[in-house]
Amino acid sequence: MAETVVMPDIEREEKTGSKSDLEPAWLVICWNDPVNLMTYVTHVFQTVFGWNKQKAEFHMLQIHRQGKSVLARTTMEQAEHYVHQLQKYTLHATMEREL
Amino acid sequence: MKLIRANKSGHVFHLGQREKQLLLETLKLYPLVPASHHHLSKRGKGPNADENQRLLEEALAEQRQDNRRQVLAMLNEPQRFRATKSGFELRLTPAQVEWLLQVLNDVRVGSWLALGQPEQGEEPELTKQNVKYCLGMELCGLFESALLAALGVSESPRWAGD
Repeated sequence: MAETVVMPDIEREEKTGSKSDLEPAWLVICWNDPVNLMTYVTHVFQTVFGWNKQKAEFHMLQIHRQGKSVLARTTMEQAEHYVHQLQKYTLHATMEREL
Repeated sequence: MKLIRANKSGHVFHLGQREKQLLLETLKLYPLVPASHHHLSKRGKGPNADENQRLLEEALAEQRQDNRRQVLAMLNEPQRFRATKSGFELRLTPAQVEWLLQVLNDVRVGSWLALGQPEQGEEPELTKQNVKYCLGMELCGLFESALLAALGVSESPRWAGD
């Protein structure tokens, strides 16, 4: 049976997350730590971002297979908030300014 | 650790005598991840980078203190575990489940760091000094899985082979 591929919803977050087009964008990135359970990472993404299971799984698998995933593109303040929330759950998350 | 029932107000788990003891011993290891482990950025230096890093560490330290208070409450309040014929019942609100997941994963990641960050499938050499971290890492994984299963998060067949 064919699988439905769920693509990350970065585009929509770009439009709703920025205060203005001039404001620099920050990327919230989660990096692979082999110690974290796949179910745990999926749950944290659902809790922190309010994503559905499919989207949370997509990003979890991207991290697992490619070493990292961009979870959001947003303002500096919002990126700091997300990074703090993810680190509260001991995930390896950082924010990087978009080049 | 098995889910007995769940409703809007929370979850009730059954634990055997030994399971309860192992859970409490594991919680005593908290916190294990050093404050310096987390960084805001990999690239490092941006404007106010040092200040932002300091604020992050302060916020995480505050969170850790709050978690530690709750750990101590669980360790020091035996009534949290209601004795039954076959063991104990532990009642957790949804917020307490989230808190327990955070605490357990801190111990799991901290144990992994203490073991030298072994890759998946790599088994660190056991010594008298590190055996508690090996146990801590495995036990936290088991308790986390039980909590996540109670929340309806389970491994998908799509992850097979990963």
